[in-house]
Order: sequence, then C-alpha cells, then structure tokens
Amino acid sequence: MWATNAKIIGIVLGTLALYTLIANKIPQVQSEVPQALTLGANVTPEQLVAAGEKVYTGIGGCTTCHGLGERAPNLLTDEKGQGPIGARCGKREPGKTCKQYLYESLDNPTAYVVSGYQPIMPVMTRQLSPAQVWSVIAFLESQGGTMDVSASDIPATSPTSPTSTAGAGGAGGAAFAGGGTDPKAIIQAAGCLACHKLDGQGQVIAPDLTHVGSRRDAESIRKKILDPASSVTKGYEKLAGIMPKSFGTMMNAAQLEALVQYLAAHK
Amino acid sequence: MTDSALLLVQAAADSTRAYGEFPVIGARAFVWITAEVHLMFAAFVLGVPMFAVVTEAIGIFGGDERYDRLSKEFTRLLLVAYSATAIWGAMLVFGLSTLYPRFWAYLTTIFAPSMWLYAALFFIESFTLYLYYYGWDRWKKGRAKLGHWTLGILLNVWGTIVMFIANSWLTYMMSPPRDITPTTDPTTIKLWHAIANATWMPINVHRVIANVVFGGAIVGAYASYRFLAARTDEERAHYDWMGYVGNFIAMSALIVLPFAGYWLGREIYQYDQSMGITMMGGFMSWLWVIQAFLIAVLFLTGNYYLWIGMGRIPGAERFQPYTKYLLIVLVLGAIVWGTPHTMIADSKELAAMGGSHHPFLGALGVMSAKNTAVNLMILTTFLSFLMYRRANTRPVVPWARTGTIIQGAMFAVAAGVVLFYGIRGYFVEAIVRIGFSVYQVLAVLSCIVFVTVIDVLMARGAQSLGAIRWGKMPPRSQYALFILAVTFTWLMGLMGFARSGIRQYWHVWQVMQDTSKYAATPALGYASKMISLCVLIFLSLVAFVFWLGGLAEKSTFVASGEGEKGARHVGH
Repeated sequence: MWATNAKIIGIVLGTLALYTLIANKIPQVQSEVPQALTLGANVTPEQLVAAGEKVYTGIGGCTTCHGLGERAPNLLTDEKGQGPIGARCGKREPGKTCKQYLYESLDNPTAYVVSGYQPIMPVMTRQLSPAQVWSVIAFLESQGGTMDVSASDIPATSPTSPTSTAGAGGAGGAAFAGGGTDPKAIIQAAGCLACHKLDGQGQVIAPDLTHVGSRRDAESIRKKILDPASSVTKGYEKLAGIMPKSFGTMMNAAQLEALVQYLAAHK
Repeated sequence: MTDSALLLVQAAADSTRAYGEFPVIGARAFVWITAEVHLMFAAFVLGVPMFAVVTEAIGIFGGDERYDRLSKEFTRLLLVAYSATAIWGAMLVFGLSTLYPRFWAYLTTIFAPSMWLYAALFFIESFTLYLYYYGWDRWKKGRAKLGHWTLGILLNVWGTIVMFIANSWLTYMMSPPRDITPTTDPTTIKLWHAIANATWMPINVHRVIANVVFGGAIVGAYASYRFLAARTDEERAHYDWMGYVGNFIAMSALIVLPFAGYWLGREIYQYDQSMGITMMGGFMSWLWVIQAFLIAVLFLTGNYYLWIGMGRIPGAERFQPYTKYLLIVLVLGAIVWGTPHTMIADSKELAAMGGSHHPFLGALGVMSAKNTAVNLMILTTFLSFLMYRRANTRPVVPWARTGTIIQGAMFAVAAGVVLFYGIRGYFVEAIVRIGFSVYQVLAVLSCIVFVTVIDVLMARGAQSLGAIRWGKMPPRSQYALFILAVTFTWLMGLMGFARSGIRQYWHVWQVMQDTSKYAATPALGYASKMISLCVLIFLSLVAFVFWLGGLAEKSTFVASGEGEKGARHVGH
C-alpha cells in the first residue's frame, strides 16, 4: 500500500507542479495600483520613455484597444504597411509634427479617427496628468521614430488637466475653463462635443444634445453627468461605459449647475 | 445617543486602523489561503449532499439498496468536512476583522442582518446533517424513510441559502449597485439592494453547478483511493462503481457549467465594460489560456476514464474502434480553445509574433472558433458516455434501428448547427456573433436531452450482453480520477482568482479602494503558487478526513451477489 500511496502523492504533486510551471512560463502581468507620476526638470529621454510604457500598458488602459487589431489601430507594430506609430505619426497630418499629432490625438481623439475604426477613444488628457500624457507621447515616438519630448513640454501644456493622481475621478478639485460658469466654455473645455452634437456642432457618436431638455429633466441630466452609467439612451447601449465618470469631480458645483440648467433649457 | 457621543463614536471609527499585518506570509496571503480553503470545503459540503439525496432517492424509488448505502457513505464524509468548513470560515473571519478591519467594518455595516441569518442557518444545517446521518438506520423503512429523505432535501435547502447569502457579500464587492459611490454612507444602503446586485444570481447558479462537479470529483477520488487500497474483489467492485458514479456526476454537471459561465461573463460586461475587458482582454487575458488547458485535461481525462471502463463491459468492443476519432475531435477542440486571442503583449512579443495575432492561429482565437470547439467537445463527451451506456446491451424494441438513425441524425444536426453558426460568426458584427452562441448551446442541449430520452425508451427490455465486471479496471483508470480531482480543485482556485482579481485595487469596485501594500493584483505566476498551496492544504486535509471516516466505520461496500442486482450503470 505504501507504493500506491507514494504513486498517488506523486500524481497529485506532479499535477500541481505542472500547472504551476505552465502558469509561471507564460508572460507575467501584474495589475498595478495607479501611481502619481512626477517628472523633474532633469528627466532623461530614457526615463520619459520608460514612464510612458508603464502608463501605456497600465493605468492608461491603451492596450485594452490598441494592439488587438479590432478596436483600434496597432501602435507598437506595423499598421497596414506604415510601420509602428513612431514611424508614421509625422506623416499622418500635413504640417503637424509627430509630437503635435500625438498630443492632439490624445486631447481630441475624434479629430483623427483612422479609417475603418470607430471613434470610441476617450479624451486622454482628461484621464491622465500632463506628465503621464507626455510620457506616453515619448514612448509612442520611440516606437520606430525619434523621441523629442523634453521636460519643458510638460508644464507648458494642459493647465486645466487633472493633476498628478491618475485615473478617472482621481484628481478632484481642478475645474474646467478656469472655474468659470459659462456653459459653452465648460462644454468646450470638457470636450463634450468630441462625442455629442449640440446646436449643429460636434460629433454624432453619442446622443445629440440639441433637444436633450425635451427628454430629460434637470435632475436626470445632473445624474447622467455625475454617474454616466445610471441610464443609457436607447440605441446607444453599445457605447455604454465610454463616457468618463470623472466629470463630477472635474468641475465645481456652480459649473455643474450652470451646465445642467443650460442643457435642460435645450428643449 | 447624544450628538457628542455620536461624534466620539465617529471619531473612533475614523481612527480605526485600515490594515493589519500577518507574520511571514503577509495579510493578503493569509486571507487568500483561508478564504480559498474555506471555499473548497464549503463547495464539498454543499455539492456532496446534492447527489447524496439524489442517490438516496434512486435507492428508495428504484428499490436498489446499494444506492442507499452509497448515499450514506457520501454523507459520512460530510461530518468531519463540516467541522473543517467551519474552522476555516472562522479563520477567514478573524483574518478579515484583524487584517482588513476598515473594510470588514464597511461590509458588516451593510450586511450585518444577513450575517446573523447565515450563522443561524449554518447551525440549523449542521444539526440537520447530524439527524440525516445518525438517523439513517433508524428511519429506514416506509414513511420514516421518506421523512429521512426529506431531511436530506432540507439539508440542501439550508446549504443553498447559506451559499446564496455568502455570495451576496462577495458579489457586492464585485458589482455594487451603480447608485452606491465612495461617498455613500453604508448605513443608508438597503440590505436587499446590496444583495440583489448584478452578478449575484449568475454566481449563485454557477456555484450550485460547480459544487456538484466538485463534490463528484472529490467523491471519485475517494472511491479511487479505496479501490486501490481494497483487499477483496467485492470491495474493489464497490469502489469501482462508486468512482464511476462520482465521475459521471462530475462530468454531467461540467457539461452545463460553461453555459452558466457565459451568463456570468455577460453580466460582468453589462455591469461594467471595462471590468469585462480587464477580465478577457486585459491583464488577465493569459489566464484563459491556462483555463483552456485545464478544461482540456478534464475532458480528455474524463473521456479516457470512460474508454478504459469500456474494457470491463462485455459488448463494448463494438464501439472501441471509434474512440480514436473522438480523441482527435477532443484534441483539436482543446487546441482551438487554447488559442490565445486578446491579450496584453509587449512590443517585443508583438514584433516576434508579427502582429497582434499569430498569422496562422489568429483566426482560431476568436469566440466563434472557441464556442464551436467547446460545443463539439461537449457533444463528443456525450457520445462517449452514450457508447459506454449502450455497450453491454442490444435494444430489442422494433424501432431500435430507426431510433439509432434518429439519434445519429440528431448528433449530425447539432454538430451542423454548431459549425454553421461558428463559421457564420466570422462574417457578422460582434453583437450578432454573441447571439449565435445561444443557438449553438441550444442545439447541443437539445441533442443531449432528446437523444437521452430516445435511449432510455430504446433500452426497455434490452438484451444484456453480460454484466459489467465491476472492479476489473486497471489502476491507471483510478489515477485518472485523482488527476480529475486535482484539476477540478485547481481550476476552482484559478477561477476564484479571476473573479476576485478583476476588482484589481478595489475592495469594493469603484467604491472602496484597497490602499494596503498588497493592493496590486499579482501576476498569474504568483497566483498559481498560491492556488497550488491551497489545493495541497485542502487535499491533505481531505485525505485526513477520509482516513478518519475509514477509522470510524467500516466501508459500505456490498457483498458479492447483492451488487449485481439493480443498476448496472447510472441511468439504466
């Protein structure tokens, strides 16, 4: 019986060892907690690229869509014979450098939707801090191109973007449009028109807001801004989850009320 | 209470430390191990009563006492396992309250009444078990026996409610109702609102089925150990039969488990798309490759056990030549199911692969191919079982030939539907493609149900080609049952990691953040070591429990002659 027991123990341990070994042989990806990114004035190109790669594969969530070949263009590998993003970004828009193109793509993604893909990318300058945005640009430029981002780029841009804490809703405190209550300025600064249409302007990805007041009252609009998942307009179920949840923490109470009343008046 | 007193209480609560530390292994590892081992025991003590009560019913209504004795033997295994479940549960609660006090305080604030009910039901459940087991020989005949069987049903009812309650806590952590935010005062959250969250019922259904699978696999391992240790042919025959029953139950329930899994996955996507993407296409994407490997092991080992078992059935030689074709389908299906699709890869890996998908295998990594593969594997396993079931009989009903042709046609139609929608899925949008899986599943389930009905009718008065030679199994068949038990247990640990890990650095998804030093969700390599450790602890303790069971009472194997009467296989 001892021989049988030894065989059983051997089979059990061998099976466990096999599964553990296989699980350790595959690429190891750990889900990190979002960290504040601070880049000093003496940041080196290597540090920028390394930081950018971490944001790209981590908190930025870029790999959720890019690189899968279905939801968004490949950035790190060839895309339709044009090479990786660093090799093609400078030729994408006439008159724009690679750096400009990439920044605008992150700041206003619907402006440059690549043919064959849906305009589903969120405004990344609202999701990430300037340091994170510029480190991602540095990383993307380094993919087959020349990296020319420096520390001087970082404080000079996006003064209204969320600060160091990463992630949706993580910043708090920073208000759109300098804290002013002009609803049009808030809409412009928040990038609402990147998805919504209002008074003939903007995109048609998300519901048209021109007559939003006729289908939602002020309370419903307020709730929708603060918690986009609270209700989804019929016909837009596939885009549920795209609208950032962070607007409530990115404007002050007066701004929110001004925006809500403005939209509710659009009967 | 005065305002000042309230303020003092609030201040005390605010000053509560958020996290504690556990020596050597750390707080997370301690809670991980206690939760996982507790869950494994809980699954065992919930799964085994389900088929104990079914086998008792077969014994009562079928007049075969062997099933009754088998049921009692199952139940005997539960007694010590209940204590182990409670001990590990207590360790988990102490771990949570001392190592994660703020989170635990939050959870108890919302769920306190359900926790009291949980404790009360566990108490009632335990005493129902004692009555059920110790009353077995006293309430043996007539109405008393039916009353005894009712106790078994009640045991399942209490156990299921207990599980549903515990599921509400963990599903709340995954999918708290959307109106609950980080600033929501937990005292204002209605209990039922928190319980009836988006993933509660899918998890309930998934776990009920999974517990049956798990219980069957562990009982199968127990029987295989007793088979290998048996000193007489009679004993060996009994435990061979018991192992077959355990494996049959595990594999039957396994067939429907993926459908419950799809439902759960769909609910996760509907609740929060980003959580779904994290699960399937984010940092957990590689986990599904491992899962596919484990499922492949289960299907192959389960079928292997059936095919070896045909060696002890007179008349099975007719079917044995076909097993190699079944093996080919299973292996091809496993390869397709294991083909990676959406996963995180770094720039070097993508470059080495030549793109985001492997140039040859990319087309097999999509859900159309995977759904087709798994449905064909299920059909193949069902065909294996059908061959096993018919091996020693020759139908004598006048319509036997027609019936067999109809059965064959049903298999062909089901496989055709699965293949048609699998191929069509490549040419339609994702939202349409997802709907196709429902047609595939319905085709397979319909085939299983109708073919079984025809088979049962066709078996009436069937000519026997000889009794199954229970006990005449090579030892390697019994080792296969051990591999099944280890794999089921490991798979349970892996899926537990997937379910819990998709919350990432949140105790309660987007409501309460984990700010401890263990907030990062570890990679699969680390998780696999933890899972293996938990499986090892669990199996070692289960072996001890079984040994104790053997000490307490002699086994219930049936003496020669008695066992031949009645069920040659389950389902006959």
